[in-house]
Amino acid sequence: MADIGQVRIRVPSSIKAGDVVQVRSLVIHPMERIERDAQGKIVQKNYNYINKVIVTYLGKTVATFDTTQSVAENPFFSFTFKATDPGLLKVQFFDTSGGRYEGTAEIKFS
Amino acid sequence: MMGNRRVSRRTVLRTLSALGVAVASGFDPVTPQTAHAQALGQNETVEDAMKRLFGSKTIKDGSPAIKLDVPLIAENGAVVPVSVSVDSPMTSTSYVRHIYVLADKNRIPIVTRVTLAPEAGRAFMGANIRLGETGDVRAIVEQSDGTLLQVKREVKVTVGGCGG
Repeated sequence: MADIGQVRIRVPSSIKAGDVVQVRSLVIHPMERIERDAQGKIVQKNYNYINKVIVTYLGKTVATFDTTQSVAENPFFSFTFKATDPGLLKVQFFDTSGGRYEGTAEIKFS
Repeated sequence: MMGNRRVSRRTVLRTLSALGVAVASGFDPVTPQTAHAQALGQNETVEDAMKRLFGSKTIKDGSPAIKLDVPLIAENGAVVPVSVSVDSPMTSTSYVRHIYVLADKNRIPIVTRVTLAPEAGRAFMGANIRLGETGDVRAIVEQSDGTLLQVKREVKVTVGGCGG
């Protein structure tokens, strides 16, 4: 699991000022599921899964995802933002083990 | 040389991550720590989950405004693409504040809660979710004036993907 925390972000290749842009993001993460013992009881432990995704554009939070274990492994999220100025789009993923994974995309107009 | 490098690298990484978290929590009104303290997803029925989220507020039918895009049949419940888009002007006075995705038959019915800002430009979210078995998937939208709208669609799952 050496790939944990690898973030991929895809933005359209050409963006015009004022466009509402759809972005796709993905992080490599196991998103551990609830385990049960032989009696069917839930094993109590700190499951490691992504519980928060924060999207910021030009330093402002655009979207926040609060997620649970019902999200698939290697979680994929897409969202939109309004491209007003060139700048940095940042997606941060937080997991329950204190991990913080980050991906950025430079928004440029063509 | 090597030993020295290993220790220093670890120290640097730890300091960096501590700093990074501090910076993130300083800028963001909602820190991940608080989100973890009150867990969003719990083992409960969908009725309990909705009670916990919305209390006794009425939820209106949102089928004219909300477009919930899920497959009719999910071959593999471990990865089911879901997207929700809502008709909304997304101005600072009228926008979609939250989009909730719930899967009725999952042991943890709340899948995700998306908090949007007007800067998002369009009320849209997409994610890959898990579905334990055949059941309804709901999208519940909370608008900035507090109105709740809901749509749901049944998804048939061939192979369950949700151990939890």
